[in-house]
Formats: sequence, C-alpha cells, structure tokens
Amino acid sequence: MLRFIVQRLFAAAITIWIATIAVTLLIHLVPGDPVRIMYAGFQTTEAEIEAIRARLGLDQPVWRQYFMYLGRVLQGDLGHSIVGNQPVLDTLLQRFPATLALTVSALVIAVVVGGSLGFFAAYKRGTAWDFGAMTLAIVGVSMPHFWLGLLLLFLFSMTLGWLPVGGSGWRNLILPALTLGLATGAVIARLTRSAMIDIFDQDFVRTAHAKGLPKTLVLYRHALRSGLVPVVSMLGLQFAYLMGGAIVIENVFAWNGVGRLAIQAVFARDYPLIQGFILFFATVVALVSVVIDVTYALLDPRIRYGT
Amino acid sequence: MKLRKTLTLPSRAALLGSAFVMAGLPAIAGGDLIWARYGDIDSLDPHRATSTLSMQVWDQIYDTLLAFDEDGVARPNLAASWEVSEDGLSYTFSLQEGVLCHDGSAFGAEDVKFTIDRAFGDNPSLTRTSWGPITGVEVVDDLTVTVTLESTFGAFLPFLADSFSSIVCASNAEAEGFGTRSAIGTGPFKLVSWVQGDEVVLERNGDYRNFGKPVENAGPVHLDRLIVRTIPEPQTRLAALRTGEAHIAEPPFDDIPDILAGDELNLVVAENTGQNVFWQYTVSRAPFDDIRARQAVAHATDPEMAIEIVYGGTNQREWCPIAAGVFGNDQEFCAQYGYPYDPDRARELLAEMGYGPGNPLETTMYVWTGGNRHILAEIFQAQLADVGIRASIEIMDIGTMNARVREDNERTDTTAPGTFNMMTWGWYDPDILFALWHGGGAYAGYQSDELDAMLELTRELTDEAARLEAVQDVIRYLMTNAIHVGLYTPGWEWIFALRPEVEGFKVGAFLHPMFQDVRLTD
Repeated sequence: MLRFIVQRLFAAAITIWIATIAVTLLIHLVPGDPVRIMYAGFQTTEAEIEAIRARLGLDQPVWRQYFMYLGRVLQGDLGHSIVGNQPVLDTLLQRFPATLALTVSALVIAVVVGGSLGFFAAYKRGTAWDFGAMTLAIVGVSMPHFWLGLLLLFLFSMTLGWLPVGGSGWRNLILPALTLGLATGAVIARLTRSAMIDIFDQDFVRTAHAKGLPKTLVLYRHALRSGLVPVVSMLGLQFAYLMGGAIVIENVFAWNGVGRLAIQAVFARDYPLIQGFILFFATVVALVSVVIDVTYALLDPRIRYGT
Repeated sequence: MKLRKTLTLPSRAALLGSAFVMAGLPAIAGGDLIWARYGDIDSLDPHRATSTLSMQVWDQIYDTLLAFDEDGVARPNLAASWEVSEDGLSYTFSLQEGVLCHDGSAFGAEDVKFTIDRAFGDNPSLTRTSWGPITGVEVVDDLTVTVTLESTFGAFLPFLADSFSSIVCASNAEAEGFGTRSAIGTGPFKLVSWVQGDEVVLERNGDYRNFGKPVENAGPVHLDRLIVRTIPEPQTRLAALRTGEAHIAEPPFDDIPDILAGDELNLVVAENTGQNVFWQYTVSRAPFDDIRARQAVAHATDPEMAIEIVYGGTNQREWCPIAAGVFGNDQEFCAQYGYPYDPDRARELLAEMGYGPGNPLETTMYVWTGGNRHILAEIFQAQLADVGIRASIEIMDIGTMNARVREDNERTDTTAPGTFNMMTWGWYDPDILFALWHGGGAYAGYQSDELDAMLELTRELTDEAARLEAVQDVIRYLMTNAIHVGLYTPGWEWIFALRPEVEGFKVGAFLHPMFQDVRLTD
C-alpha cells in the first residue's frame, strides 16, 4: 500500500512539475511585450519598464527564469500580483475555501442526483423511463454550465424568487452548486447506468435473486455497492472537471472563489496571479486525485495489485 | 448628466422623479443602496491603481481640492480659493475650514502635503506625471499650502479635480493596511470593509460637507450605506437589479432596448465622459507612412452610420481628437479639418498611390474586445473593401492592443504592411495629446519636432485663451496630417440602469458618479 501511495505521489509531483514549466513559458507565449501589456494604462517610463522586467526576471534567459521561479515556488513564494501588489499565494488561499465549498457541494449533488438517475435508468433498462432519464443526462452533458446557470437563475431567482442571484453566504451557494452538480451529475448518471447494467447481468446478482432475497436488498446491498466502484474511480477526474467548471460558474453567480479570481486576473493581465492560479489549480487537482486513488485502492484491493 | 432623448422620450427618470414628488410618495432617508458593477476596485489607494472602477469608489471615500462642475470645468472644492504667482510656478491654496477626516482629525494643509509627497515618494503614484512638474509642497499654516512647479503647467488645476489627486488624510500613515484594509479621506462615505473581488461596504460620513460638487445636498448623504458589489456576468447583474438585490447596475448592452420598452427600470447615460475612439496608424512603414493612405481610410469609413447601427443613440460622432466636454473640444472647428465619408475621394487617393481594382491595399485593423465593437469593425471592413482596402480584423483586449500598436511602430525588421487601429482613451484635459504624441508618445508613433514644440506649448501656457489656441493648433496638425482621426464618443458604455425607487443619482463630468442627492423611495 505504501508503495502505491508513493507511486501516486510521484505521479502527482510530475504533474505539478510540468505545470511549473508551463507557467514559466506562458508569459512568453503572449503576443506583444508582456511587461507593456501588464502595465498598460500606467504611467511608466522606459527605465521603469526595464526595472519591472528585471524584477520579474524577464531579462534573463528562459532556462534561468525557470529555475528562479522554481526556487521561489519551493519556498512557497508565488510572487506578488500586479493589481494591488498582494502575495499571490495568500490571495489564492483566501479565496480557496469558497471554491472548495462549491466543488464539494456540487460533487455531493452530482453523486446523489447522477447516481440515482443512472441507477433508475439501468433498473428500467429499455423502457421509456430509461430513455427519458438518458435523454435528460445527454442534455445535461451537452448544455454549457454557463447556460444552465442562467436558466436556473431565471427560474429560481427571477421567476420564483426563492434564491438570491449572487454573492456570498450559504443561500448563495445553492444555485452555483446545483448548476455545477447537475452538469456533472449527468456524466455520473451515464456512468452509473452502464456500470449497473453490467452488474445486473452478473451471476452473483442472479444468485441473490435465486436465493429468494428481497428485491430491494439485492438491488441496494449487492448490486449498487458493486456498481458504484467504477463510478468512485471516476470521481478524481470529475473533481478536476468541477474545478474547471467553477471558473465559469463562480463568475456567473458572483461566488468569490479562486475561479473568479482567475477570470479577474486574466482581464487585468495580471500574469503573476494567472501563473499562481494555474500552478495552484494543478496542485489541488493532482493531490485530490491522489487522495481519491488511495481511497479507491483501500476499497478495492485489486487496484493496487494491478499497478 | 441626463437621459438622452433618443433613449426615451421624454427623459423617463426625470419624469419619474418628479412624479414621486407630485404624488407625495415618501422619499425616505437612510437605507442601504447596492451598486452592482462588472469588476472590483484594484486598490483603495488612489496612487496604486488607474482603473475607472477604482476611481469611482475613491470618489465616495476621498475628496479633491477642486471639483468638476457639470460642464467639466474645475471649480473650488476643498480648496476655497488659490493664488498663482506671477511666474505661474507657485500655487497657494486656501483650504476650507472645519472639514474633518473620517478618523475625526481636522483636515488641513498637512494632508495636502502628505498626499503630494506620497505621490512623488519612494513608491510613487502610477499617475504621478499627471500631477505636473512639482518640485515642492510647503505648509504655510494649518489651512494654507503652497505647491511649487519647475515649469508652468496648464493642466495642473484640472488635475486637482480628478480622482487621481484625491486627498489622502495624513492619519493614513499610522493606519494599518492603507489601500487594502483602511482608507481615511474626507469624502461622503467612510470605508467599513473591502472583501477583494466581492464588495466594498461604505457608510455615511456624518461630518461630510460638499463645497464644489454639482449636487444639491451640501451636507451628509441621505443613505446609511453604499455597498459596491462585484457581479461580473451581465445577465446576473440584470437579474439582481430586477429582483431588487441591486439598486444600480450596468445593464447588458443587448438588453437596453428591452429595458427602455419596459417600465421596470430607468436608465442614466453618462455624458461628458472624456472618452473617445479614434483611428491611428503604424506610420513607420508602408502603406501608412504615406498620408494619402491614412486619409483614404478616414474618408472610406462612415462612423456616423456604423455607430447608429451598433449603438443606436447612445454614442455620438466625434470629430475632435479629444472628447466632447474636454477643454479645446469644438466640433465646428474640428469638422473643418475632418474626413467626411467620401468613398470617391478615398478611391482617388488610393489610385494616386497605385492601388486599384485587382491591386487592393492590404492591411490589418486592430480592435479591442467588448461593447459589440466587432460588429463596428465588420461594418468598417465592408466600407473599406468597397474602396479597395482589404483589411483583416484582429480583436484583442485593450492591454494587448496597446502593446501591439507600440510594437508595430517600433518594428523595423519587417516588410509586412503597417496596421491601423481603433484606439481609445479617456481623460479630462487636452494634456492627453501630450501623452499620446509628444516624442512619438505612448505608442512610439508619429513624431515631428514641430508637433513636439506645439505640444510643449499646450502644457506651458496657463492663460485660458492662449492655451485654447495652442490646443487647437495641435488638433489642426493631428487632423490635417491624418495622425489622430476622431471617430465617436464616449466609446465605452457607461450606462446605468436604476430601480425605480432610486432618486437623485447623477454621473458628473468625466465619469464621477455622485450619491450625495440619492434617496431610496419607499
């Protein structure tokens, strides 16, 4: 087990390392002089532009810039934002709890709603119920988060007046979590359905029925438990998907998390903040994936033997 | 600031405002007003940001020595009066008595000195060059302060009415986290909190007195609190407005006709914003190193028709290189040197240069994102194609465009055709022309010693009539040489949608929203 955890942590470290290279190169991929773009609108002299370039290390060869950046990152220093001159890591950590609350709530909604819908569709396989549930799931998968968010906003805030439009606080969390959760739930519904259909055809389910066990006991204790194993394995991927979705959804509902910070940083051309966000995002996704992989391995020993 | 007739006939807000009074509906004192905006402030420190969104919040916390009246002319405000030395190099300001900073300390000459010293200190203001060539600030007594300049500076007094010159109380030096957690001024509201990216909460300053802002209320504001909330998504902002979660917000551009058609919300369009949009060109290489190519583009495009299609009545044709309401702007004067839509003349100019059917002038037009400007660019593209100019369009954010334009001017290692761009700036004074064109200016563009000398004169002259003449000389030069060709104003959409219970909201000249007269009706 320890070997498995070390392997997974090593894989995560490689992901994060690749992210550090990507963020160093990012600034050089932008058309135009990055310092002039960052400081557009400020009254900066040529000497100041050069000083900023030197401060950001942009006057150095790219390889040296990379090692300078890596050195700072290893000391927990992601630099200072251009706008407001705040430490990037502090700013990200300040906003992260809001994003975590959103993604975790959305994940719970996704698993409960998606799992139930998939299970129901599999149980009613081949009927109009199955067709209806899967049509709903396809709509959910296909619909952009942004659009779904606006529809829910129109329904629950503007028409029914049940929920606030945007801002902070637990009531404000409901709509963004629902938007993100329903979209992800649609993916989980499709996964659950196919997993459950496989399980329903397995010998152990047929045996359970043959033994005369009550139908609900067979469905929930025997079939559902086994059917959810592949779904759980996908949660790591879904979490990354949710974090990506949060960037858009936080903006729609004015939820003050790191996703919204990222959009603001892009519009403000705040490269240190954009770089910090990408690295932070990659680190969170990589670490959550490790946790989910390890949990999964604990639940299903075959996984770690297979690695 | 008033509602435009083309938007609603007659001015709906004015009618509604008077309707409340006539019907005797109570306008209650107090209450919290929520103002939803697309973005947050960058800093509470007026020396550490340049965005309009930041300035509009500073206006509520701080005050300025002078203030713009409705026509954009700088008038006495915290400075009750001033005297200028004969050589024009020293200004002595007499300050208002009895003004208090938000922490209860008396406002005076030390606060003015603190602000200016700070703007030129170790970590200088991002807009310090706009203060002018200041060499020293001397406190004469508690309410008298003298500012000395190295050379005369015509834009000095107007700058003192702008938010970048907001007076920061000296007590901020001891306050922890100035610019992020604290901000002490003498403005109509005190800072309660700023949650970055989310909201700025301000509360009524009971000691506030207005001296020069063009509002009716000379005392403290009627509201209890002003909450400035960031809601980036336009449709969410509109939803917040409709559900009552916000009282004032910038509506999505495409929803304006619906808002006008309905009775639910009122619209206020900012006038005299100081902003305008213009053509400028890469003059360092062909084709725009030839004046005829620049003139051909100007003659081939019809901004009047394009802005009517895209913006309805919310933007106006602007002939001058500086915006309407700015000192020196005179449509009649500028139109004499302008380029009316004349495709035949454009074709003639192109033919003189050797272009014609089968040999179009190839170039690229840069446009910055947002505000439906891509449609505007496509209209211009079609008009240009009609005369034989094949212009591809590149749309980018304004910061990238600023950098690309400069880079294009500075490049010498290419034979690719030069580009032209739809550029925009907003400023309260013709001094913007100095920043844009002196020595090649902000974009390392057109440069001539003659123009430089003319621009220097516009800075040095302080006599109004003489300065006007100098500014108009520059305008004539820029236009006849087709260097800076005005298109339309304001260019950025400063339209505010208001819930019907909001009364008395005004946007002063150069985009200063004012809440002094605002009441929430029951």
